[in-house]
Amino acid sequence: MYNLIRAELFKLRKNRSFWTLLMAFAVLSLAYPLLYYFDHRSSGQPQFTGAEFLVSFISSNAYIIKLGVAMLAGFFISNEYASGIMKTIASTGHTRDRLYAAKLIGFTGGAMLLSLVFPIISTVEVSLLSGFGQLPDESTPFFLPRLLGLTLLYTAAYAAIGALIAVIMTDSGKTIGGSLIFFLMIDIVLAGIGSKVEIIGQLYDYSIFKLIGGIGKPSIDSGDMLPLLLVPLLTIVLCALVGISVFRRKDIK
Amino acid sequence: MHEYVLKTNQLSKQFKGHRALDKVNLSIRRGAIYGFIGQNGAGKSTLIRLVTGLAFPTGGSIELFGVSEEKALIQNRKRIGSSIESPALFPHMTASENLEVNRILRGIPGKDCVPRMLKQVGLHETGKKKAKNFSLGMKQRLGLAIALLGDPEFLILDEPTNGLDPMGVIEMRELLKTLNRELGITILISSHILSELHLMASHYGIIHRGQLLEQLTAKELESKCRQYVYIKVNDPGMGTATIENELGTSDFEVMQDGAIKLYSFIEQPSKVSSALFSAGLEIESFTAMGEDLESYFTKRIGGNPHV
Repeated sequence: MYNLIRAELFKLRKNRSFWTLLMAFAVLSLAYPLLYYFDHRSSGQPQFTGAEFLVSFISSNAYIIKLGVAMLAGFFISNEYASGIMKTIASTGHTRDRLYAAKLIGFTGGAMLLSLVFPIISTVEVSLLSGFGQLPDESTPFFLPRLLGLTLLYTAAYAAIGALIAVIMTDSGKTIGGSLIFFLMIDIVLAGIGSKVEIIGQLYDYSIFKLIGGIGKPSIDSGDMLPLLLVPLLTIVLCALVGISVFRRKDIK
Repeated sequence: MHEYVLKTNQLSKQFKGHRALDKVNLSIRRGAIYGFIGQNGAGKSTLIRLVTGLAFPTGGSIELFGVSEEKALIQNRKRIGSSIESPALFPHMTASENLEVNRILRGIPGKDCVPRMLKQVGLHETGKKKAKNFSLGMKQRLGLAIALLGDPEFLILDEPTNGLDPMGVIEMRELLKTLNRELGITILISSHILSELHLMASHYGIIHRGQLLEQLTAKELESKCRQYVYIKVNDPGMGTATIENELGTSDFEVMQDGAIKLYSFIEQPSKVSSALFSAGLEIESFTAMGEDLESYFTKRIGGNPHV
């Protein structure tokens, strides 16, 4: 298993699409705060501090997570089916369960790195321009580590869904398109149906799609923390199990 | 050590109503170079994919190195090296990086096997050139190097000479023969180039429309394909005596109907005919006969020559 994970991380390190995404997100993360900076400067409005920017815009990071997961799932997982590399991997005498688990770990690692680009780079940039400032009064000293930790956890949950879509689709284009449509539409669909069907509404309330919006809150009640942690963990486990089950039965062409 | 590296028992694979493999009983002895012959869509790749674990049988079983139990089968696949259909490479990696990722994947200790393998297949001077810029022949050789990582006991190669130039084909053949002879690696090789297979295979399997029509050794094939002069004379006894005394050979067979199959003097038929004529024999039939692998295969599958 250790070798499989090492091989996945080696591949990730050498994956051109991963580096392109990382660079693109980094450029966007640098450009986005600059737009506000120059806009506020010309209009005379007070500038965001690093802390204010992070708290205000962390919810936007969900889009970057979704985009990053979808693109990476296509280029890092599905592409291996198209190029025939999956044949080589699957015939090396490892169980399908381990192969899938290693792939999921490598992929999740890549997605996690992508998910940290925006909060870290933009916050550092704004802090360099206008200072870090003060975190909201209601936030605790654990706010930053909790925010980053939850960002990573929710990215892992999205990555588990992305990996599942990739193993079902086995085609880069279909995986990217399918994942993006799924991630962008699931909120609308669940919220829409949930407003009419109570159980779907509850399901949506306790899904990563809704809960991700709350990870940047300065203070979280202890009662809310449990679902905030449990739901992504359960999502990861459930998607990994379904993914393994699909991959176990899959003929690799 | 088990005598057979691979055995299949009534192995079948069905895809949505299409029977790609139909109760195939194939066996490959340790140390053999097994030439796997069949037309496109005959079931060669399907069988290879089942053996390497890329697909799952819908019937029958596979025995690898003497075991057929699922867990042991997966474990024993570590003893196989394979290159299936086109070589699967990471296009943005160099030859060395492609081997390195596979080395890590298989848990092979020490990096020294990477340059050794590159040298073995003649790719040691490719440097930083990415695999995407390789010629098809270079890709084939890199695919072989990947398959050879970890010193497999059983090598499965699907069309390994595809895209190779004539020199490349010869080099590949010699390399495979060396691996088989010196390291004792058993090789299953499927190829469309039957003349090429003929130069290295020790055993053959002919598959057609999902059914294994025949398995035979090179010796058996040779005897079936052996060139001979078919002679029918009015006195077979005198005919054989003339061949022995005048031509000095006993490399012939007398058939039940009295016809003589002479395996010598293929290139000098006039010498044979004049000897028989001089002995006063009446020659009723005198024809050069025999088949090569290609015509034997064509005959075996019922006349369609599209391999």
